[in-house]
Amino acid sequence: MRLLKTLALAICLCLTTAHATAARQGKARARGSRRASVSRAKTSPPTATPAPTVTEIDLEGLKKLLQRDADVADAAKARPLLVNFWATWCDPCRAEFPDLVRVNKDYKDRGLAFVVVSGDDISEIKTGVPKFLQQMKAPMPAYLLNVPDMGAAINEVDATWGGDMPATFLYDRERKMVFKHFGRIDPKELREALDKVLADK
Amino acid sequence: MKKFYPAAAALVFAFALAAFAASPSARATDDSASPAPVRLGAMVEDFKLADVDGQEHTLASLKGKHGTVLIFIAVQCPVSNAYNERMEKLYEDYKARGVAVVGINANSTESPADVKAHAKEKNLNFVILKDKDNRIADRLGAGHTPEAFFLDASGKLVYHGAIDNSMNPVMVNTNHLRNAIEATLEGKQVERADVKAFGCSIKRAGSM
Repeated sequence: MRLLKTLALAICLCLTTAHATAARQGKARARGSRRASVSRAKTSPPTATPAPTVTEIDLEGLKKLLQRDADVADAAKARPLLVNFWATWCDPCRAEFPDLVRVNKDYKDRGLAFVVVSGDDISEIKTGVPKFLQQMKAPMPAYLLNVPDMGAAINEVDATWGGDMPATFLYDRERKMVFKHFGRIDPKELREALDKVLADK
Repeated sequence: MKKFYPAAAALVFAFALAAFAASPSARATDDSASPAPVRLGAMVEDFKLADVDGQEHTLASLKGKHGTVLIFIAVQCPVSNAYNERMEKLYEDYKARGVAVVGINANSTESPADVKAHAKEKNLNFVILKDKDNRIADRLGAGHTPEAFFLDASGKLVYHGAIDNSMNPVMVNTNHLRNAIEATLEGKQVERADVKAFGCSIKRAGSM
């Protein structure tokens, strides 16, 4: 058991390092492309940070993200997972985002994995979605769900969810859903659920 | 790429925040207090709601000879607004075929006057009811806009969910609601009777 834990920790460390490296590379790329574009047109003020990368996912990608499969050997499984579904067209989603960024800040070092999944049209993947995340200074890994059948994706997440945005789901270390909320979150309620799931080792 | 003005964006965002801070939408996840919503295949009981002019209508008085579409719509929701033309076209197309289209606005943040002005501006000519205390949204289990319910001639719920497969008109390749209506008109079973889609949560009265 101890050996397993050590192994999981090692994998986790490796992945984190790999992720950080990838993120740095991504940032470097973004900086490079910004430098290139600045000479052509002044696209953004010099103080702006590069827009975050938004990853397109399909139904399989979503399933993987939720990590429901027991046989997935992913170290992130050891961390509770918070998933927020949002869209740029959704006003309460935009309104609750600063709360989510604060939650991420307060809980990431306590071992929370937090991802945000946009339900925007794919045409927004390089425009509206990263632009908003940039404005929010949101560091959470960001995805955009692009599926021909939204219904199947919604059901994959939760059969009782009708698709109303925003929607927030919390999974424990075994990927059992322990909290869900449709509509704008109540930060206090969410933090209570997070405290509980993080205390539960 | 559009120019980005942080101050302007911040201002717009501050307004959005202010608007929504005044009326936060949060549907309690534990709905055990209210009775279970109408299920597919069950009869939708008659109800009475006022339209945007305050005139009361019963479902029985609005229903079409061959069926009735109820669509929860919104003034401010961009998804609902993306469907304005499609909803109006649906109403026009089925008027002569005995299928009624009725809009319902259950957002507590949108007044009858707002709904009326919006309908005029967007050229929505079907009846729009104001579900003031979201009683009917609760009874039908409507959570977002736009969300459609199709009742057959007898008043039985035979379809629930999305109007079609995409908010973006150019991406539409499956007209779920029209398929359900056509199947019902032909006396057939609706193939996909419950199709979910993303939408704006209904801003229920007294939530949060």
